Amino acid sequence: MDIDDVKARAGPREFSPSDDLPLEYREAATRMLEFHANSEVMGGYLDKEFTRMAPSLDRKLACTAKCQDEIGHAQLLYRAAETLGVKTREEMLADLTNGEGKFLNCFHYPVDSWYEAPMIDFFVDGAAMRRQATLKDTSWEPYAHAMDKVCFEEGFHVKHGEDILRELMTSSKANQERTQEVFEEWWPRMLQFFGPTNDESTHNDFAQQVGLKTVSNDELRNSFLNMYMPKAEKYGLEIPEYPRIFERDDGTMAVREDDLDWDEFWTIAKNDFEGSHEQIGSRRRRQEAVEWVRESMTDWETAGADSPQAAD
Amino acid sequence: MIWEVFRQEEAGDRHTHCGNVHAPDREMALLFAQIQHGRRMQTNSLWVAPSDEIGEVDADETEFGGTTDKSYRWAITYNQIDASFAEEVAESEAEQEEAAEKRGDV
Repeated sequence: MDIDDVKARAGPREFSPSDDLPLEYREAATRMLEFHANSEVMGGYLDKEFTRMAPSLDRKLACTAKCQDEIGHAQLLYRAAETLGVKTREEMLADLTNGEGKFLNCFHYPVDSWYEAPMIDFFVDGAAMRRQATLKDTSWEPYAHAMDKVCFEEGFHVKHGEDILRELMTSSKANQERTQEVFEEWWPRMLQFFGPTNDESTHNDFAQQVGLKTVSNDELRNSFLNMYMPKAEKYGLEIPEYPRIFERDDGTMAVREDDLDWDEFWTIAKNDFEGSHEQIGSRRRRQEAVEWVRESMTDWETAGADSPQAAD
Repeated sequence: MIWEVFRQEEAGDRHTHCGNVHAPDREMALLFAQIQHGRRMQTNSLWVAPSDEIGEVDADETEFGGTTDKSYRWAITYNQIDASFAEEVAESEAEQEEAAEKRGDV
């Protein structure tokens, strides 16, 4: 198949590993999947912090369950990516460790309080779920299959996240004020979650032409605003004046992009933000700390056939 | 030699197990699979795999889902939250509810 055939055939779940796909398609799909998988890993590591901060045992259990899910999602996505034959799983994981691998902007900001839990678990996860639901119709079948399971599980994350927000915003005035402060800090980052407007996004067009993406960044951001702004307001959060949000003629919401800090966004996109170094470094150090577990598992797996079992 | 057969109805669907065939090699297994399992039911693709190569663990040997109460990991637990504001959240909750019923949890 050449790229014109791919564009002509492009549709939901159209291409599977048995298709002979051009390198350009496989590279684009790999780039998307690797970014998505890396984001699940880095999101999981970020979320891990909340287990310690969580105010009750129930919340702690839910936080650990969520981390487990996110790492599981990463496993599914790396599998769907390596089937494309462009990069191996080991290469993708190594790149994430050495700072080459890219991931979502929101996961480049270290967290230090429980008030940040609903920002990640409700708003950022809610935004992620918006996007992931549309990826059930992606043209790379293994990606769509991964999304079936991911979306099945994500409903718990978003509802749990909203429940934390509800709890904080119906508790003490001090808690409400602190949540508002943190919300103001996170709001612009959430708006940048879907990236810049379409004409500034480098990979968007091609990804849509070959059916990897079915909905544009712009549409996703606007639908997120329409759904999640009323939620913020419902719990008494005040939407910051800047970045300015406005209503379009068709009644949908949009953001004045000039009000957002795109220098920071593009620094993050290069993994060069202060928080990027911190998050990538902290994951690397944790990986190194448990290296002995991986080694002992490899030893155990490779033993047996040619070397005798160790005596008890 | 027994080969397990997996049928995909439409492009993009998962291959699901639909039976097995007795055949001397992969080529014959694919032919028999077409004849026995691909003709009457809607079929887009078939897989065959040697039965011996399939590993199994069943509910007699393990507790799928663990032995402790894990209600904290399901959307329906958070019943003060209305999922209907976003169709993908509502859909996920409905799928989880259906799975819970099948597991016998509700």
